[in-house]
Amino acid sequence: MKIKKLDKAAFGKWVNSCIENQRVYGVQAKEDRFVFAPLVSAKDLRLDHDVTILPPKKYFLPPQETLLKFDRKEGFESVFDDEPFVLFGVHPYDMVAISQTDKLFAENHYDTHYFKRRQKATIVASDVQNASKDVFAGCMGTATVNDGFDILITKIDSYYLVDIRTKKGRALAKTIKDAEDADDMSLKLRKLVWADNTELLQKHKLHVRPEVLPRVLDRSYEHPVWEENAQRCYSCGSCNLVCPTCYCFDVRDDVEWNLQKGRRYRVWDGCLLAEFAAVAGGHNFRRNRADRYRHRYYRKGKYVPEKIGEVACVGCGRCITACTAKIANPVEVYNKLVDEGK
Amino acid sequence: MSKLKVAFFDFACCEGCQLQVYNLEEEILDLLEIVEPVEWREAMSDQSDDYDVAIIEGSITRVEDEEHLKAIRKNAKTLIALGACATIGGINKIKNNFEMQDVRKYVYGKDANMPHLDTYPTKAVNEVVKTDYMVHGCPINIKEFSYIVRSLAIGKEPKIPNYPVCVECKMKENVCRFEYGEICLGPIIRAGCDAKCPSNGMWCFGCRGLVDDPNVNAAKDVMAEYGKTLDDLLGKMLLFGNKQEY
Repeated sequence: MKIKKLDKAAFGKWVNSCIENQRVYGVQAKEDRFVFAPLVSAKDLRLDHDVTILPPKKYFLPPQETLLKFDRKEGFESVFDDEPFVLFGVHPYDMVAISQTDKLFAENHYDTHYFKRRQKATIVASDVQNASKDVFAGCMGTATVNDGFDILITKIDSYYLVDIRTKKGRALAKTIKDAEDADDMSLKLRKLVWADNTELLQKHKLHVRPEVLPRVLDRSYEHPVWEENAQRCYSCGSCNLVCPTCYCFDVRDDVEWNLQKGRRYRVWDGCLLAEFAAVAGGHNFRRNRADRYRHRYYRKGKYVPEKIGEVACVGCGRCITACTAKIANPVEVYNKLVDEGK
Repeated sequence: MSKLKVAFFDFACCEGCQLQVYNLEEEILDLLEIVEPVEWREAMSDQSDDYDVAIIEGSITRVEDEEHLKAIRKNAKTLIALGACATIGGINKIKNNFEMQDVRKYVYGKDANMPHLDTYPTKAVNEVVKTDYMVHGCPINIKEFSYIVRSLAIGKEPKIPNYPVCVECKMKENVCRFEYGEICLGPIIRAGCDAKCPSNGMWCFGCRGLVDDPNVNAAKDVMAEYGKTLDDLLGKMLLFGNKQEY
């Protein structure tokens, strides 16, 4: 383990050297919010961001991606995107979400398209400097993170601590200049940042430990909250689309004008959308809004935990902000189930 | 493979959706490889009653239009509504909020009672005849039109989005218009436009019409969250959302 201490100038030079050498995406301002976008200069990098509109999953599982090209006579060929890239500014909760998706996409059917990108990515995580208005990562154990990333950056006063963990991280850190090794005081201060963030990233407070959620849901299938909240649900899927742990997709085909060649692509889907569970013959397993609404909370709090042993909500709070109907706050929903069950 | 014989017909509209088809530019030659237009007022002078596919642009506003459309339906194996005027009645339905005699007087003045101006409340194409496919939008999304034509040419059911504009808007990572205190119709309007308006700094005007099962009651409830009233919402619906069935 190697931890470097860089002042602002040295940090900026290092980021610019990364940009010169490869494809780099970093957090930047977009109107009043923040997004991950291609980074052209260190001065645009906003590690002080509170949260990005979309999570970094868009680089591993793009909103739309071609899976294969086909010829109706000659068969098909898979299409892969495996150009190396660097992500700058992944918050701990998003890092946890990426690690969860890694597990889920390796399970049963290994998703080659996902992993080609994932393996070529160097992730520079960054401890949170400013809490977003709806973040509750502190309750979910995801305000800080200790693995999954290649490098972790923590800003302490006017310095950046650059914690280099992996081979890919070491390769990216080669161009760091004018850096000393982190001193004991900086490391102590970093621990304080982590302790503070665990406290500060609790804009909503879950009344139980997240591990308890599967048991709470065991007895909540018929709870009135599903129907009550679903009455205001647009079925717009915004909560799904901005969620770092939602990964469902639909697969579609399109032919070219020659009607012979074409492509098969996948696009983001969401379990709140009306036709998400529609199958051949017009049958829909979750035709009712309330069934779809309930499914999301079971997915996050029970079904995924049963698969990988972790609650599939990392407390980023994006769904709370994105839901115009204001019914998508997982903490409110789960607390209601917890409190009324007492 | 023999080409599909296609005829374009236009009723009450600006014919801008047909214009989008010419906007395919060089791709129009590819289109002509798989379809044979037999009537297309904006592009050619020929007329014909022999066609497989009828593409209907515009809304129905007169008795004689209604009869013409019914005759077209009889001739066509497949009937496609093209653009908001045809699919939902579009802006032509604004007049349905008024008395027809007032509308006639306001628009045509002293000619209001001429027989060929005998306008009645606007109908979308599917309010008159069975409509097999709809190409939504004002104007249409030419990529979607192309996809539908190619799908039909290979005998495949085209998949038209039945989810709100929010889906495509989120994929574009736009800042939600509601965060700016605006009313956006995105949550109840059918996607397929690639969220063009919100991606260019405007709210969704609703030109593609409501999704199949819009939560209009939610839309009403939610207004209060943003310090808006039901009238504010209905005001936004005036352009494209008049008398739409849901």
